[in-house]
Amino acid sequence: MDKINVDNMLAIEEPFIKVPLEQLRRTVRQTQKQVERETAAVSAELAEVLKNQYRLAPEEIQKTLDALIERLQTLKQGLEQVKQEESQLIQRSKLRAMDLNKLREFESTTQPEFQQWCRQRLDRVLIDYMLRSGNVKTAQRLVETGNLEHFADSSLFAQVMSIENELKDAHSCQGALLWCSENRSALRKIQCSLEFELRLQEYIEMIRARNTPEAIKYAKKHLSPWSDTQLPRIQRAMTLLAFSPSTSCPPYRAMFDEARWAALANDFRMVIFQLYNLPAQPLLHLLLQTGLSALKTPACLSSDPSEHNRNCPVCQTETLGKLAQDLPLSHHVNSNLVCRITGEKMDEDNPPMRLPNGYVYSLSSLTEMAATLDGKVKCSRSGQTFKLSEATKLFIS
Amino acid sequence: MDTIIRDCEKLAKHQSSSSTKILASIDQAIKALQTARNNIASSSNSTTNNNGSGSLIPNTEDLVQAKQQVEKAQSVSDEHIKDLYSNVSKYGKHVEKAFKLDLSVVGESRAFEDKRDELGYAILQHFLREGDFLLAAEFSSENSLDLPQETRMRFEQMYRIVTLMRSDAHELGDAIAWAVERRDELDAQGNGLEFILHRLRFLQLVEKGLATDALDYARQWFPRYSKESGRMDEIEHLMGIFIYAKRLHASPYAHLFTDQRWELGARMFAAAFCASMGLAAMSPLGVTVDAGASALPIVCKVSGLMRERKVEWSQQNELAVEVPLPDSMRFHSVFACPVSKEQATPDNPPMAMPCGHVICKASLEKLARGVRPGTVASGRFKCPYCPVMSSLTDAKKVYF
Repeated sequence: MDKINVDNMLAIEEPFIKVPLEQLRRTVRQTQKQVERETAAVSAELAEVLKNQYRLAPEEIQKTLDALIERLQTLKQGLEQVKQEESQLIQRSKLRAMDLNKLREFESTTQPEFQQWCRQRLDRVLIDYMLRSGNVKTAQRLVETGNLEHFADSSLFAQVMSIENELKDAHSCQGALLWCSENRSALRKIQCSLEFELRLQEYIEMIRARNTPEAIKYAKKHLSPWSDTQLPRIQRAMTLLAFSPSTSCPPYRAMFDEARWAALANDFRMVIFQLYNLPAQPLLHLLLQTGLSALKTPACLSSDPSEHNRNCPVCQTETLGKLAQDLPLSHHVNSNLVCRITGEKMDEDNPPMRLPNGYVYSLSSLTEMAATLDGKVKCSRSGQTFKLSEATKLFIS
Repeated sequence: MDTIIRDCEKLAKHQSSSSTKILASIDQAIKALQTARNNIASSSNSTTNNNGSGSLIPNTEDLVQAKQQVEKAQSVSDEHIKDLYSNVSKYGKHVEKAFKLDLSVVGESRAFEDKRDELGYAILQHFLREGDFLLAAEFSSENSLDLPQETRMRFEQMYRIVTLMRSDAHELGDAIAWAVERRDELDAQGNGLEFILHRLRFLQLVEKGLATDALDYARQWFPRYSKESGRMDEIEHLMGIFIYAKRLHASPYAHLFTDQRWELGARMFAAAFCASMGLAAMSPLGVTVDAGASALPIVCKVSGLMRERKVEWSQQNELAVEVPLPDSMRFHSVFACPVSKEQATPDNPPMAMPCGHVICKASLEKLARGVRPGTVASGRFKCPYCPVMSSLTDAKKVYF
């Protein structure tokens, strides 16, 4: 039981490895597009110059060439930055994979190095939680004290937060739309209609501002391309023109509702998480929920405090116990007996001993007690005293 | 994981060489453009100097050259980036292969939806018990949670003492004072912390060459460990150390001076401190996350299988499968009847038969009923695990 189940441990680390991978994929794709666009443009302009060289004044050619040089220089600077970014992402991927690979070296769950590793995983999971929930300073401190820069996806979450806040607070779709256009092919692949929702929102805002001609123009340009999949909604959106923002007619009132902005922010978050393979809920939630469930026993729920164990997380009635309240109990087909005195496991090597009053303790705890109490043992629950020889050995199959 | 690391190493090399090449090709293009531009500039200058008499010589060749360079840059970068992309994809495939678990099946749980503050307090407790008080303060202010002052003060006291023990001077005074103050409590728990600390201090004095002080210290603290405490042998052994005082590290006592002894002592103190305050020995949040790391993949797999049944895992009364946890994460006895495989309850308690085998009451009653009358005296049956005969009245309740 003390052996480490490496495959299980790795199974939950998918986002840890995939985030930098997806970031790398996107960076390379975007660079490819950018280089293609820029070099093609420069080359086309040169062709133009060549074609008209006899007609153009040298000053003009010179000016054009200057502009082209500058364009390429900007491209080059951009590429130099991308080079840094890419190599950082690759380095980050490697460091993360190496950290996971350490698991294979550990032999037992009791090894201090393994416990240290688990401690760091906890910090990682907490950082993820802090970044997701906007506790930027706490996250920052955790990263700094743990030296975990490469294990934290701070920049990704910073981007998520800034676009989300723009939607929620500033009621602007600009950042989100830009992000959509940068990731258009990936979004198409997962058949995501976030861009349509954003466009729809901008359209609704124009109607709210009573700018009907603009709204119609906007709908023609930005909503109609979605007619394949969103036709009924486009039709409803067009009907909105007939309603005022104070309407009480349900579907139209819902479209005018300011709460749509918060919903958009949430939609955006879900989509970007999906693209980067991040689970919708923080890993901390998932681990705590399943962990508490796996630890939860009927004894934790007992109204008798003596049934509780101070080391048991579910028995922390003020904190984790509250979180565990509605979670399922653990399932057991095999017995697991724990000595009330030492907290040690009772099995063939350290058998459970029944005192005449029915209470059971481990052999090792009773022998130790008998050594100091002149061959007698005291039942810690009832306070009764017995001779060690009165205890009978139990067999648990 | 090895493949993934190798992939990353390959990618790193590939990325650096290909971006260098791309940058070089763009540099070439820029240079060619600059040459073309400069030649045009100088020739147009010279023509103006010649009073505009000479006809303009268009620098066709330079321009063609420049265009070629730009096109070359285009094709070079295209080729290299495509190559890099295909390598990234290859790496991506290996990653896909290594991680097949779909975490989203458990992500639908709404169990924590309205429990943000409770979670916040659990995290806060964790930060305090890990001794990062600044972090705890930061987190509590970012979430406007009240810092539990009492817990903070307790852990501050603990960490102050632990820090002194871990410091280069390894100051033990406060720890010893704390242990002496709680001697009765520690003795009742059978906790040997006080003696361990005295031994550390004694050895520290010997190591410093303060033999008389060490002797005084032994006189002051060791006599209380009378014979029954089982420490006398050890004390006698310790007192022999004075013979080797000048060459401790080449003596039979050398093993007592390991570097870990301070850390072990500090941990023992922290554990005793937590126990005395009724606090858990290990961070409950940490324990839960570790348990979750074992449980999550299992719950995921099972929920994936049960998906069509539309039961959300966190809404059930009991998990569908057993999650194997290390012994250190077993905090309560759970008795599962080996006959019925059911968990014992107050109505169906575990019962020990005279042979010592334990089964649940319901199973016991079933066995008693199932016996054919006539074969043996009614109500008597054989234990399912050994030849010993038993009856309902022979069996006794046990409390684990």
